Amino acid sequence: MGDGLARILAKPSFEPESFIAKLSGEGEDALLDMRTKVHMLNDDTAQALKKNVYKNYSQFIETAREISILEGEMIQLSHLLSDQKSLMSSMMEMPLVSDRAIVEGLKGEEEEKESPEEETRRNLAFLLEKVEGCSSVADVPGRQLVHDGDLVELDAESHAQLQRVHAFLLNDSLMIATWIPNRRGPMRYRFQGLYELDSLAVVNVRDTGPVKNGFKILMFPESHMYQTDTAKAKRQWLDALEDTKKKKAVKDKQKKEAAMRLAEQQLQVALASPGEGDLSKSFTEDLEEEPVAMDRDFLSADWLQELPEDLDMYIAQRNFEGAVDLVEKVNEYLTGCPKGPALKEFRARIDHRVKQLTDGLMNELQVSPERSLRGGPRAARRAVTQLIRLGKSAQACKLFLRNRSAIIKYNIRQLKFEGATTLYIRCLCGVFFSSLSDTSKEFIKAFPGHYGCFSAFVIWAKQELQAFVSIFRRQVFESKASLTTIADSVQLSKNHCAELNAIGLDIEFCLASMLDISIQQVIEENRDQLVDGIFYRANDDLWRPQNHLTQVDCEKYIKEIAAAGFDIKPFVLEKCFIAITINSIQFAKSIVMFAEDLLKLFTTELEEFIAEAIAAVYRVQVKYIEDSLKNEQLVKEQAIILKNAQFLLETVMGKIEALYSARDLDLPQQLQQINAHNRKLRAMVRK
Amino acid sequence: MFCETGIMSKAKPQQPAVIHKVIMVGSGGVGKSALTLQFMYDEFIEDYEPTKADSYRKKVVLDGEEVQIDILDTAGQEDYAAIRDNYFRSGEGFLCVFSIKEQESFQATQDFREQILRVKNDENIPFLLVGNMADLAEQRQVTEDEALKRALEWKVTYVETSAKTRANVDKVFYDLMREIRSRKMEASRQSNGKPKKKDSKKMKCVIL
Repeated sequence: MGDGLARILAKPSFEPESFIAKLSGEGEDALLDMRTKVHMLNDDTAQALKKNVYKNYSQFIETAREISILEGEMIQLSHLLSDQKSLMSSMMEMPLVSDRAIVEGLKGEEEEKESPEEETRRNLAFLLEKVEGCSSVADVPGRQLVHDGDLVELDAESHAQLQRVHAFLLNDSLMIATWIPNRRGPMRYRFQGLYELDSLAVVNVRDTGPVKNGFKILMFPESHMYQTDTAKAKRQWLDALEDTKKKKAVKDKQKKEAAMRLAEQQLQVALASPGEGDLSKSFTEDLEEEPVAMDRDFLSADWLQELPEDLDMYIAQRNFEGAVDLVEKVNEYLTGCPKGPALKEFRARIDHRVKQLTDGLMNELQVSPERSLRGGPRAARRAVTQLIRLGKSAQACKLFLRNRSAIIKYNIRQLKFEGATTLYIRCLCGVFFSSLSDTSKEFIKAFPGHYGCFSAFVIWAKQELQAFVSIFRRQVFESKASLTTIADSVQLSKNHCAELNAIGLDIEFCLASMLDISIQQVIEENRDQLVDGIFYRANDDLWRPQNHLTQVDCEKYIKEIAAAGFDIKPFVLEKCFIAITINSIQFAKSIVMFAEDLLKLFTTELEEFIAEAIAAVYRVQVKYIEDSLKNEQLVKEQAIILKNAQFLLETVMGKIEALYSARDLDLPQQLQQINAHNRKLRAMVRK
Repeated sequence: MFCETGIMSKAKPQQPAVIHKVIMVGSGGVGKSALTLQFMYDEFIEDYEPTKADSYRKKVVLDGEEVQIDILDTAGQEDYAAIRDNYFRSGEGFLCVFSIKEQESFQATQDFREQILRVKNDENIPFLLVGNMADLAEQRQVTEDEALKRALEWKVTYVETSAKTRANVDKVFYDLMREIRSRKMEASRQSNGKPKKKDSKKMKCVIL
């Protein structure tokens, strides 16, 4: 019903007036009925509208999200492309620089024409961008563009037109590229052939038949015929070819002469030292015996010809293993190859790729903010292994360690400082030392047999330790932590160091020497604090025994002190009195704690210092007791004072001795001397 | 795209299928270009200008058959053996020219002969020894006997020509073409008498 009404209303030929007229003629019931129908329709439509809006809205959001993802990808892509572009341009520039040296040495006059030459070089780069598959041509250092132009290739026999080509005359060869009919992208031509000028025969085809402005290129077994648009263009081509060939011949001759001269010199040197005479003589003969043909034959294998492209592909695919395999294979193969210009050229092409490959691998190890460091050491091993195979172990080592440093730094930064120093230090030590041991294990795996690299590793480990110590110092020493905390932290890191001994890396002594000064400082500070405390307490010490009022309380107290490690039962007087003053108890507690902490920091270097620190505090206390005994006002208390002295010098000292012996150490001389004071004090009283 | 179709739509020149490739060799200044030009255009050019490498093509009737002759006039002064080899490889027959008034040029023919045999690797390559400048008999340095003796030794024909008077000019070219033709027929007979591919192709075209 509703649908029917909707259809009527939606008709394009709907006329409201006639509809209403028809409706009103049918009476009130029909009108009311229609009214409810219209209402229903209204509601339905509103609902449908809402639904549609929601549907569209969710679709819109989805689309927006897709677009934003796409945008992100596009940005990444454009970054990637611009990266590659810069890489390409840098690659283009690289061989040109090395070429400069050769050119300079050969021709003085060429220096004058430097700027136009520079221009042709850039031209070469620019034009080669337009030719597909000519990367091998562009690789060769020292190549320049001399002349180029559009030509029509003709059938050499029938003179029928074959195709449009674009020819590039380079300073050492002629490159022919065919026109790509339905080109997409910047490539306009496809590489067809490269002909060396050395043996290229050019024939001027006279305008005898219907074909005008032709010339031929003979390069056995190929022969090609080309046609220019105008006679002038043909003239230019022929002249340019002739000219370039001549220039190249002159240059080659000079090179050859230079080589001959060198060979002669070597021969003379060889003659001067007869032992090596035969060797270098055969070498110079090798040089002269038409090396060109030999090495060319050697390099004509299919896989060798495709090798540069294959390498490019592997690098692009980040198949570094494959690329390195190829490089190794070709290196092995080329060692057996006779030396000649073709080999040199080929080498240059390979070397260029190897450099790219190395860069790629190094990039892999490079620490960059956009790369996650979570890969761990194993992720780097792949790149490191390949770099080592390429003979770049030093770089690999350097980068690997740098990478590891970054990982350690990152992991440390991830740690949150949450109040408790010891806890933080425990985590810090955990992260640092486990990274260190991971690295060393990984290092041993990654650089087996490269002992030169191990010294680099040791140096690295020391540097990292330094960084660690600087964090440690900041967190532990400069944060005014308690001596106990410091001692615990130091001990913790020392224990970790000791674990590294298991893998043959002993850095404990480094750590100790780095922390030495800070530790001494902190010991001195604490010592002074204790001494100050003694003076402070002495001021209002009346040498009164402690009164615990009831026997029960007294025993409770004794137990409490016993828990701290002191037996004060012998010093109980009359049920609830204890001869040891609170002052003495406090001193005993603090000196034992001090000694305990110091012994945690114990090293042989610090032995003297620690003993002296404890003794110094002790001496002050003993001096105080001495003074008290001499004091006229305290004559009555002498018995108590002596009891206290006995407690401090026997019980407490005994406790310290126990701490020492727990570490297999003897009580130091200084402390033994203090022990002797006991008798001296007694003697004082007797007097 | 536009250009390509433009090229392709151009009518292919209708030319005889058989092309005989002749190469002029010899020292500089013996008259290779003069012979070629006399044969091509019936002209004698007095001015001497060293040739680099020019090629000419002409339609001729050889014993009733229309063929094309492709002449490569090489440079007597070409210094680079590798390049010269590439020229020689493209030839089917050779006119080895010297000047009868220049003993040196006659001696040089020995080198050219050797080079050609090496490159073509064929003892029976169509080859004519040509003594040019026969019109200047009074300045003769190379005797006919001498030249004939060498021709006999090489088992080739010796012909004396004059580019100036056109004496024997057509003869050397036609004789060489005949030699080339008989060599080609021999070669096709050897390959089971099959007609040359190109010929059959062309025949089809005519029928269509």
